[in-house]
Amino acid sequence: MLKQLFVYVLLLGTVTLTGQSFDLSGIIKDGSNGDPLIGASAIIIDSEPMKGTVTDFDGNFTLSDVTAGNKLQVSYTGYETQVITIQQAGLLVIEMESDVQALSEVVVIGYGTQQKRNVTGAVATVDSEVIDQLRPQKVEQALQGTVAGVNVTTQSGAPGAGLNIRIRGVSTNGQNAPLVIIDGYQGDLSTVNPTDIATITVLKDAQAAVYGTVGANGVILITTKTGDKNRPTQLSYNTYFGIQETSRSLNMLNATEYGLLLNESYAGGGQELPYPDATGLGFGTNWQSEVFETAPMVSHDVTVSGGSDKMTYSISGSRLNQEGIVGREKSNFTRNTARLSLGVDLSEKLKLTTNAIFTNIDRDALSENGLGAVLFNALNAPPTLSLRDEAGDLSLVPNTPGLGIEVINPVAQIANTFNDYDLNKLNGQVSLDYKVIEGLTLTGRVGFNTANSEGRNFSKQINYGGKVFDITRSSVSQNAINDNNYSFDLFGTYQKNFGGKHNLTTTAGTTIFRELGNGLFATGFDVPNNDWEFADISLALGTSPDGARDVGSYSYDERRLSYFGRVQYDFMERYFLTAMLRRDASTKFGPENRAALFPSFTAGWIASDEAFFGEEGPIDLLKFRVSYGILGNDQIINNGYIGTLSGEATYVFDGTLANGTAIGALPNPSLQWEEAKKFNVGFDLALLDYKLNITADYFINTRDNLLISNIPVSGIVGTSAPGGAAPTVNAGAVQNKGLELAITYQQRLSKDVKLNLSYNITTLDNEVLEVSNGTGFIEGGAFGVGQLAPSRMEVGQPIGYFYGYQTDGIFQNASEVEAHPSQIALGAEAQPGDIRYVDVNQDGVIDPNDRTNIGDPIANLTMGFNVQLKVKRLDFSAFAFASLNGEIVRNYERALSDVNRLDYYLSRWTGEGTSNEVPRVTTAATSNGVFSDFFVEDASFLRLQNVQVGYTLPFKAGAGRNPSLRLYVSGNNLLTLSEYKGFDPGASSGAPIGGGIDYGFYPVARTVLFGANLSF
Amino acid sequence: MALTPGISSIMNTKSLIFTLALLLIGTSACEDDFIGRTPVYSIDSENYFNAEADYRNALIAAYDMLQASYLNVMLGEIASDNTLAGGESATDVIGIQQVDDMIHTPVNAQLQSIWNWMFAGINRAAYLLEFKDKTEFEGKAQIVAEARFLRAYYQFELVKWFGPIPLKGDERFALGDETSLPRASVEEVFAAIENDLELAIPDLAVNAPQTGRATKGAAQALLGKAYLYQSKNAQAATVLREVIDSGVYQLSDDFEDIFERTGENGPGAVFEVQYTDAEGAGFGCLQCSEGNVAVGFNGIRNHTGPFFDSGFSFNVPTQEAYDAYEPGDQRRDVAILDIDAWAAQTGASFGIGNEHTGYYNRKYIARKGDSNIGDQNLTNPNNYRSIRYADVLLMAAEALNATGNDELARDYLNQVRRRGFGDLDHDVNASGDALRDFILVERRLELMGEGHRFFDLVRTGAAAGAIEGFSAGKHELFPLPFEEVQFSNGNWNQNPGY
Repeated sequence: MLKQLFVYVLLLGTVTLTGQSFDLSGIIKDGSNGDPLIGASAIIIDSEPMKGTVTDFDGNFTLSDVTAGNKLQVSYTGYETQVITIQQAGLLVIEMESDVQALSEVVVIGYGTQQKRNVTGAVATVDSEVIDQLRPQKVEQALQGTVAGVNVTTQSGAPGAGLNIRIRGVSTNGQNAPLVIIDGYQGDLSTVNPTDIATITVLKDAQAAVYGTVGANGVILITTKTGDKNRPTQLSYNTYFGIQETSRSLNMLNATEYGLLLNESYAGGGQELPYPDATGLGFGTNWQSEVFETAPMVSHDVTVSGGSDKMTYSISGSRLNQEGIVGREKSNFTRNTARLSLGVDLSEKLKLTTNAIFTNIDRDALSENGLGAVLFNALNAPPTLSLRDEAGDLSLVPNTPGLGIEVINPVAQIANTFNDYDLNKLNGQVSLDYKVIEGLTLTGRVGFNTANSEGRNFSKQINYGGKVFDITRSSVSQNAINDNNYSFDLFGTYQKNFGGKHNLTTTAGTTIFRELGNGLFATGFDVPNNDWEFADISLALGTSPDGARDVGSYSYDERRLSYFGRVQYDFMERYFLTAMLRRDASTKFGPENRAALFPSFTAGWIASDEAFFGEEGPIDLLKFRVSYGILGNDQIINNGYIGTLSGEATYVFDGTLANGTAIGALPNPSLQWEEAKKFNVGFDLALLDYKLNITADYFINTRDNLLISNIPVSGIVGTSAPGGAAPTVNAGAVQNKGLELAITYQQRLSKDVKLNLSYNITTLDNEVLEVSNGTGFIEGGAFGVGQLAPSRMEVGQPIGYFYGYQTDGIFQNASEVEAHPSQIALGAEAQPGDIRYVDVNQDGVIDPNDRTNIGDPIANLTMGFNVQLKVKRLDFSAFAFASLNGEIVRNYERALSDVNRLDYYLSRWTGEGTSNEVPRVTTAATSNGVFSDFFVEDASFLRLQNVQVGYTLPFKAGAGRNPSLRLYVSGNNLLTLSEYKGFDPGASSGAPIGGGIDYGFYPVARTVLFGANLSF
Repeated sequence: MALTPGISSIMNTKSLIFTLALLLIGTSACEDDFIGRTPVYSIDSENYFNAEADYRNALIAAYDMLQASYLNVMLGEIASDNTLAGGESATDVIGIQQVDDMIHTPVNAQLQSIWNWMFAGINRAAYLLEFKDKTEFEGKAQIVAEARFLRAYYQFELVKWFGPIPLKGDERFALGDETSLPRASVEEVFAAIENDLELAIPDLAVNAPQTGRATKGAAQALLGKAYLYQSKNAQAATVLREVIDSGVYQLSDDFEDIFERTGENGPGAVFEVQYTDAEGAGFGCLQCSEGNVAVGFNGIRNHTGPFFDSGFSFNVPTQEAYDAYEPGDQRRDVAILDIDAWAAQTGASFGIGNEHTGYYNRKYIARKGDSNIGDQNLTNPNNYRSIRYADVLLMAAEALNATGNDELARDYLNQVRRRGFGDLDHDVNASGDALRDFILVERRLELMGEGHRFFDLVRTGAAAGAIEGFSAGKHELFPLPFEEVQFSNGNWNQNPGY
């Protein structure tokens, strides 16, 4: 009682002190349940200089030198911002109302923004919070499993390796990568530092039509972080240290198993046993454990941001250093970035925003995913060979028919690989917004990218003992590539409300885009001392023999001029209609088709606003959306409409090379853009006070006039000549249909426990509708050595499906062989124990005409699952991703008698009834190696991408600023469930025809990170 | 006063619209300039042939495709009774294995390559011929004549392999021709070959301006061969005798040396396809190699030892081919390497590949001493001795025998035999059909491993008896590639039997 009285007196006392400065304390709480809000900002917006702070773990803040009458702005994400006029000192209890219109969140839609509630296209966003949780090394990783309809596949697990993003499937045999717009200008996702990103927005449907001829593959809009106005300087520092190891090792035969298998194989072929005494072979060398290592990874980034009422700023720097799980520093990736973002209100009407990002990348790489890749060698090298020979040198894989001439010691290969790639890139934009009159804003923006890269590859003189990788003369190849582009946008946006119920926003403008650059290549021979230290053309003075050119170059200059307009209309924010039109003129196409028009529309209806829904009930929001539009794709070779002398003409006169001129790719003067017709219908549903949100979409994307580069044509036109190619022709159509569903659920279980769940699922049905080149199909990919092409794009089939022989078990005995059509056309007559192929066309012989669809690499079902749980200071999150119903081709087994094999060969056919899956082993001629479904496996997998546990340390509220320190442990790719025998069922080269063929993909690393986030 | 803001904003709006309109007009006006740029650093193929150098450069392109004919030579030999496919395994380059066993079908990547590459050669020659009248300069006649020779060479290959093929005259094939141009009959194709060669012969130099370029003798020899393939024996005899009587060519004494690097472009070389080890090559574009790809394919599997480099053990001679040589014939051990004897003699080691016979096609297997630039199996520098003087003599002998001049025929035949045996004791004294048989056997022995055998057997009607699996009425011709029949949209029929 006495205490309360004392407080009262104190308060009275402060009243009397009005006009003088005092300390202000307060607590900021959630108005609905009274929970303290941590990290909410409290700013005196009319002080000079500005004062502000953020709340501590208990929701407390303190500000000094406050005067009565000062305006305090309190804000927190997801809550409505309040401005309070300070009356007196004392403890201020502020209750924040959760912003039920969490939908007032603004979404970037291209040349503008829109409130999320009003968006009528199929749009998905990923914010920096998700990026913080996933801690990706590359931005693309943050999109895997987090956004319905977006599939991300790795080309390799090597540090810095590329990732492929496919929005709503593979629609073209050409370039399927989406357009990336960074702060309004065309950019490149692969070089961006993930922590610099504020939001990623994915435009999946016809809404992207505002990008016309480049938007067909979907658009990814990136906004980078900026400072906030009226916010004191914030400094945040994030760091982590990670340990990486391979997520998978294959089960190979050990030396004893291998020796016994070889004996059986040689005996089967009537040859002498290679290991008459297999005892004592032991386990031998495990080549995988010789090449896989535990590799470290370190990341630091620092951001300083803040702003006054007239300007905002954000400055950041980062460094990532990642060694590879194969070869350590030989596959090292380093990225340094520096970024400056500035926003200035030059006047009431004129606002300037600008940012610039500098990126430096240094990457070294090993041979991957092919005959001669390090992992290919690790799988095929015999376990009976020791790592080093008696002299202590790395041993040579013997040059025998059984081991071929392509398998070498992978450890020696790593040691003898020397290369370097350096990229320096500066990109950014300057943008001016001019508010002409109320509602009318004019924006002018210049965006630019300039990148210089240098590559260097040293071919050391080396002898692997008669293998194809022997190099008899050392050389160093260097290249310098300069890529630049700039864009200039000028557009106006006019917003007007008519009669209180009609809202109209119109946008119109123009964009100029130009990209130009060049590349220069040269090789010098005879590197001094055969040493990487001397591997520079300035020292490597040797040249190729007479007439051969050791230099090369290319240049390009491509341009696009566009006009666009968009009208967004709504009635009572309940009925929405948007129409867009873009006209593009591009240098990619011939004079007769230079310009194109791309129209689209979207419409929406917020049904839950209708009277018949009533006020009460579980449904907070129900919005129906529909969109249709035509977009273009122009990602083809340059100048495909004119014939140029870019072919190769080299012959030998007088014993030296004579270089002439020849026709390159044949032209197609009537070349035009691909046409993507996108239809989307969907709904957004929010229930239970916006705790449960459901978004569902159904789409049909039809790509017409597919630009097929080097389309197979009759050989009489001579396109197979060196440097020649068939023309690029608009000659196909592909359709993707699918369903997307995303569900999120957010629930505060108690005062201290908060749960977020999200799940998304995408189905994909791909069908080629047309290939107009006479044969109706296009081939691609490669399997084994010298075999027919394994992949096809063909009418009625999924793009890039696998075309090979269908198998029907194993011949168990001679009478089964007798009863079956001859398989001699495949290479050898069958014997018991060999694979039985199906006579698909039933013509009584097994020949290439019996090949058929034996799978496709397209996952028909993908899903992502995310759980986040916060219990007091402890936070937990987990992300999982599943890909179902795709196939992958096992192509990392060299079909030779003495290479090592996977352990499934232990269950091979050894006599009648022993196996109906795995054929016999023999050195005799068989047809078991032809491309058949024996090599096609289910690529379905479930991967636990990320699990993170964090703890925020308690800090007392200090004056002015509140420091916060969070420590976390994060595990990436901890678990992959799959029946696939190879390293990584989720990897793909990304090629539309020929993707999904595994030469021994570098597996993604399993990583454990220990990190800290510090801000004050 | 209250109106002022309104007015000013209206004015602002007006001026803004005006500015915008100006900007739009401005940008539209410059659209043609901006988008209609000329491509950087490129030469338009339709505005070429403005100087002598342009013709010379285009001629090099036409020669370039000769190097791709390595496959014709290799596969032609494998198709015959001389060699087996070999390789790593029974499925190694399945298209080659199938041709060896005479079970090939229209789906065959190697046959498709021969079709594509030879037509590419025709089109490169036709490109030059299409513009032959555009620019005049001294020496053009020779260049045009070489282009004609090359076109004839490529067409001769195609008619050998596939029979009727489309013809277009002095212009390039264009897309769509496959659906409109018929396959000209074998007679028409030969007529076109004869025409090109007859036009070329007067303009070609007796001695090539540069080694590797076509000569008058080369064109005459090819013309004689074309006549012979049509049994126009009198004409064949005439033109081949012109080559012989020109005195330009001789049989070099050292038969073995012909196939070594030192023997390239020697006195007996009427026409050689030139190869070099100066430039690297890869499996992605075999026709791009400047080396002789067949040599690496034919090479000894896993060979370590002197003199020879290793290779892929394709195209391995049969025991029957080895035994076809009479005792004392020095050509046997030049043409065929007995690998066991070699290993025993030199201590070399080797591997055993598919269909191992113990023999290698010694004329065209990889030798040491080249640069071994990568991929070393694809960059062997061995020239292909396309038309040898011995071949000319034997063709002349065959034509003369057929036209009743056995005496001269025997003389030519025995010139070849004397060199082969290194003595005068093996002369043939037969006449008439018996002499003809001797000449044909001599062709096999002299030209073993050089890719002629299959076509000689076919044109003399002896293939069915000699080649296992050969069906008369079908296998004389190879099938058109499956895709070509599809592309032609019903315009071209598949060859009989396929």
